[in-house]
Amino acid sequence: MKLSFLRSWGLSFKFALAITTIVAGVAFTIGAVIVVQDRQRFNQDLEERVLLLARSVAVTAPEAILRNDSWFLYQSLKKMAGQEPGGLQHTRVITAMILSPEGHVLAHLKPKGHPLGLRLKAPDGEEAALLEAAKSAHSAKVQEGSGVGAKGFLEAVIPLFSDEKFLGVVRVRVSTYEVYLQVQRSALLVIGLTLGLVILGSLLGALISRRMVKPLTAMTSGLQAVRRGELTNIAPVPVQDNDELGELAAAFNKMAVELAEKKMLEEQMAVSEKLVALGRITAGVAHEVNNPLAGLLNCIDTLKKHPDDKELMERYLPLLDNGLHRIKDIVKSLLVELRVEDTREMSDGSCLDDLREIVEAEINGRNIQLVWDNHLDDQVQVYKGQIQQIVLNLLKNALEVLPDGGTVTFKSSNNRGSVMLEVDDDGPGIPTEHRNHLFDPFFTTKPNGTGLGLWIVYRLVESMRGVIEVESRPGHGTQFLVTLPTTNLGA
Amino acid sequence: MLRILIAALALVCMLGSARAEIGPPIRFGLTSVVVQENLRFLDRWAEHLSAKIGRPVEFVRRRSYREITDLLESGGLEFAWICGYPFIQKRDPEFLTLLAVPVYRGEPLYHSFIIVHRDSPHSKLEDLRGGVFSFSDPESNSGFLYPQSVLAAQGETPESFFRQTFFTFNHAETIEAVAEQVADGGAVDSYIWEYLRTYRPELTEKTRVIMRSPKFGFPPLVSRLGVDASIVSRMKTALAEMESDPEGQKFLDGLKLDRFGDFSPSLFDNIRRMADETRQSLPWLASKTKNKKY
Repeated sequence: MKLSFLRSWGLSFKFALAITTIVAGVAFTIGAVIVVQDRQRFNQDLEERVLLLARSVAVTAPEAILRNDSWFLYQSLKKMAGQEPGGLQHTRVITAMILSPEGHVLAHLKPKGHPLGLRLKAPDGEEAALLEAAKSAHSAKVQEGSGVGAKGFLEAVIPLFSDEKFLGVVRVRVSTYEVYLQVQRSALLVIGLTLGLVILGSLLGALISRRMVKPLTAMTSGLQAVRRGELTNIAPVPVQDNDELGELAAAFNKMAVELAEKKMLEEQMAVSEKLVALGRITAGVAHEVNNPLAGLLNCIDTLKKHPDDKELMERYLPLLDNGLHRIKDIVKSLLVELRVEDTREMSDGSCLDDLREIVEAEINGRNIQLVWDNHLDDQVQVYKGQIQQIVLNLLKNALEVLPDGGTVTFKSSNNRGSVMLEVDDDGPGIPTEHRNHLFDPFFTTKPNGTGLGLWIVYRLVESMRGVIEVESRPGHGTQFLVTLPTTNLGA
Repeated sequence: MLRILIAALALVCMLGSARAEIGPPIRFGLTSVVVQENLRFLDRWAEHLSAKIGRPVEFVRRRSYREITDLLESGGLEFAWICGYPFIQKRDPEFLTLLAVPVYRGEPLYHSFIIVHRDSPHSKLEDLRGGVFSFSDPESNSGFLYPQSVLAAQGETPESFFRQTFFTFNHAETIEAVAEQVADGGAVDSYIWEYLRTYRPELTEKTRVIMRSPKFGFPPLVSRLGVDASIVSRMKTALAEMESDPEGQKFLDGLKLDRFGDFSPSLFDNIRRMADETRQSLPWLASKTKNKKY
């Protein structure tokens, strides 16, 4: 489309352009019609007048021709040319002549160069043609010269008869320059008017479109702010009129206010939720660290009281060690540092199979079926540590909730540039009220859980720009689906 | 009582308005031997003459000389200012008599001028052979008889010598025809040409005199035989006294004439001779003349 560039122009411009175009089109069309009609009318008027002039000569000419009264003929031409007929404009007679049937000059308004009694000289092609046409005219007629402007003319031709004998022909030629000037004047007037109307139309169009487009522009910038998320930053659109645009602007303003309120509410909620999470983390850390600390302090107290009891030492030292490690693990888990050197070890997909034994050991004779379906082979390179951690945490999580007789399924696949990891169980599913807190740290439903497993999974997936999806129906099991882009894996 | 009053009033009115100009108007024919376009001038002159003669005088204009002589013959005019050529033509019975002859530049004489356009390469009549020629009036001495006689002396007629000729019936218009190059040449009254040189120099400027005729008697003023002798003598006196009358002098100045004088008809003998010779050289004209009534 040639006009496709118009689509990128502003509505205000297009609107103004449309009004201007319509105004100009209408003005120009009407003007052109008037000019054309004017020209026709002027020309008709002039034709009638030149015929009238020629007739004034033709009335008395035949008698004078028969009398051979050249002087009378000349004078009648002169008088005719000197006449100033009333009307819109002065009819300027360029030339006039009376010719014999053979084309000899009987009288000529310009005697010099057109001697009496000699054949009229017709220099160029058009003149010769006009002369021939005049000589062969059977009735009065008007012929038009091909010249334009100052060279244009109309010529009346009247054949002269006396008692049906052809005596000659009267030719009177008037300039059409006046008509031309008149038409030119009206054309200029039309162009001027059109220009004036175009300017007026564009001003009007610009004014109207500004009025119309202003709220739209304001709304657009408001919506852009919404897209950027700056919901509290939407400037209200001024409502000018009570029309559709006004209603739209009012509705928009209402929506902006509501959005801002909602955003503020959400922010308040987010703050309170953060506080809740922070409280939970603090409580978790306190709880998780306190529990072993109490035991450890007991051990140390006991050891203080019996500093020489070796048996006690042997029994308590592993406990102390164990408890301190647990605290260390908790702190370590809390500070999962994903960019640690040793966790960037690369491996192929078969590294996941190493987990199978660990999981089976975890099942430890319980009546739980493990379905293992690893499709990742040595074609795929993955971060070994992270991916193992993700899968292991998910599987452990599943095993912890599964009752006897349950089934846990692991599936993996390499699918169009991404690695899919899927862990399914047919356990009790996640209660609805817990879903929002599934990945919160220290959120746990198990008496001995740290509440950090899924949080770690979430942090790892996020660090690899992956996606984790959970689908769970109470009583029908849960499905975790992790999608990791391999481009980033291999990077 | 009332009747007497009305009659007296009427008489006063008549005396007041018409003064001495009572009776039928005296009709004075004019030809193109004078320039007739100046209507107000002629009207004032007619008033002047009326006052002098005691009868209303009106100028009567016709297109051609012939129409004026015909009017004289039929009694439609009392006086006329005609040309020497009509004057010398034989009339049987004679109905014209010489009233006065204008004195122009010291003598009652004038010329015929053959004129061409100012830019014309022609310098003599012979150059105009095959051209277009404008005559003034077929009864004009200077405007037709003279050039005709010159051609006749060479054994030519206007038809044989020129390609085309036409009559304008007016000396001024002949000058116009030449000035506007409708005609290559023309024959005019020297008095009219000079007169227009004063009043319409832009017209005569465009013409040039290439040939001058011998002197001829100036176009005379004539009266019809049978007009009341007292009127004729009053008219003669009125014309003669114009020279001495300050008002009359103004009209003479306007006409570019010295005076109106009393001269013998023999003044026109050379015109008569020329007319006769021309007729002689053109046998068909000569024979035609014999059959003429006058």
